Amino acid sequence: MLEIFSTKIILFAIIGAILTGYTCSLMGTFVVRMNLSSLGFAMSHAAFAGAALGIFLRKDPLIFALLFSTFVSLALGPLADKAKLKTDVVIGVIFSLSMALGLLFLNLSPDTAMSSTALRILWGSVLGMTTADIIYLLIITVIAILFVIMFFKEINSILFDRKLARASGINDKPFYYLILFLTSLTVAFSLKLVGGLLVFALMINPTSSVYQFSYDMKKIILFSPIVGVISCLLGMLMSFSLDLPTGSSIAIVCSIIFGISVLISPKRRKG
Amino acid sequence: MDKAVELNSVDTTYEGEKIPCLKGISLQIKKGEFIAVIGPNGAGKTTLLETINGLLESNKGEVKVLGKALRGDGNDIRKYVGYVPQDYSIDELTPFLVSDVVLMGRYGKIGLLKPITKKDREVAKNMMEYMGIDGISKRPIGKLSGGQAQKVMIARALAKEPEIILMDEPFSNLDFEARREVSDKLIHFHKNRGMTFVIVIHDIASIPKACNRVIVMDNGRIVADGNKEDILKPELLEMGYKGIVC
Ligand SMILES: Nc1ncnc2c1ncn2[C@@H]1O[C@H](COP(=O)(O)OP(=O)(O)OP(=O)(O)O)[C@@H](O)[C@H]1O
Ligand SMILES: [Mg+2]
Repeated sequence: MLEIFSTKIILFAIIGAILTGYTCSLMGTFVVRMNLSSLGFAMSHAAFAGAALGIFLRKDPLIFALLFSTFVSLALGPLADKAKLKTDVVIGVIFSLSMALGLLFLNLSPDTAMSSTALRILWGSVLGMTTADIIYLLIITVIAILFVIMFFKEINSILFDRKLARASGINDKPFYYLILFLTSLTVAFSLKLVGGLLVFALMINPTSSVYQFSYDMKKIILFSPIVGVISCLLGMLMSFSLDLPTGSSIAIVCSIIFGISVLISPKRRKG
Repeated sequence: MDKAVELNSVDTTYEGEKIPCLKGISLQIKKGEFIAVIGPNGAGKTTLLETINGLLESNKGEVKVLGKALRGDGNDIRKYVGYVPQDYSIDELTPFLVSDVVLMGRYGKIGLLKPITKKDREVAKNMMEYMGIDGISKRPIGKLSGGQAQKVMIARALAKEPEIILMDEPFSNLDFEARREVSDKLIHFHKNRGMTFVIVIHDIASIPKACNRVIVMDNGRIVADGNKEDILKPELLEMGYKGIVC
């Protein structure tokens, strides 16, 4: 089965999987620790709706995915921050609206509906990663890594406790919004490989797996992306060899890794 | 005369509330003072501390800390003001080690884009030894007893080597032996480093000996303020300071 693909496609798929897995799971460590899971969920579905609109308008789906997910992160960020409103409700509304719009846009583009492009943003695909896609992914990965290295003190303090971080003289707000913003970029750029429905699994599962083994945030930040990369590569292999959608395969692999982690977690063992 | 803290007719209102929680507070604290703040539940003690370090924004009057008016987010001032909060909810599964939590106390002071130096690690380590928690430095913070966690929070605040330190019931989880021990250590910092202390405390018996001034709060106001000996007279305490306004 593998022989029918050119080396370039396979190479791009592998590089794409490594970069996507790394960045998604890196941002995932922050999303999980800061209880922003539902926000990430809303972002990824908004990105899907955006991409669908892009296809409908015959424009670049990526730009619309970026606009939509960034909009959600910036619109809902302050709400989640202040917890003035029941954010669950708002996020539920955004989520269902995004799905409705996304499917509507796909339906309204008859010649492309359920075509490969449309399916790709739903389920993801290892095929058709372009040079531009790889460059974008590389840029966002480098930005995310630099962000963590340069602002390690601030990020670490905020992940521990935002109020205590503030009490120690750290300006937490800009970092909170930067984390949200980078997450929305990551979601949008990952759409092509994993798809809008399942990019979220790649953010949450690897870090949740690593959480089972460590109480040290530094190690969690270090190892979650590695588990993310492994999930992506194994998922891709599964997708190639069994001819399954890439996003589903990756989501299944990282769910299995999570399940095993929970089972063998020393945190759950007595003694 | 150097002032550490200066409040002029300060009102602080919580978001969404109509009535201010602190009402017209005026207060001057000199550098090197050791102050105990007492008063019943809901008197506004915590609110006072968080107004001083800018975690809460006052909506009337003027707050000056170390000679600078508190404006905007107040992060600059908090680099010099240590804070041990009354409650800090630390989940059992919190993925941070004690040694990291203490070192983090210095992060704001180190500043943006500056590396953590050997000296920073040394100070944090010394504070842990000093507070007697060096033996648990590699334990997850969520797995400590209430008293141990409280010592970690005190070590964290001291690790910053602040000029002013605000403590909100720092002894509430400590046994009597530990109260005396920690209290002696604070006195040491007060004496040798000239740190200014403001401590909210319920148990009058455990007010550290170095304390020279007691402030009594009730219903968002300061109802008494003076020498420890004058304020802590049994008859005044019994009356609950009702009707006494300084
Ligand atoms: N987040 C908040 N929003 C609205 N009101 C608040 C908030 N926090 C405290 N208050 C109110 O402000 C008043 C003073 O509270 P504060 O926490 O300063 O009291 P305290 O003196 O520290 O009490 P305690 O001894 O119980 O710690 C109380 O009446 C309380 O109900
Ligand atoms: Mg209080």
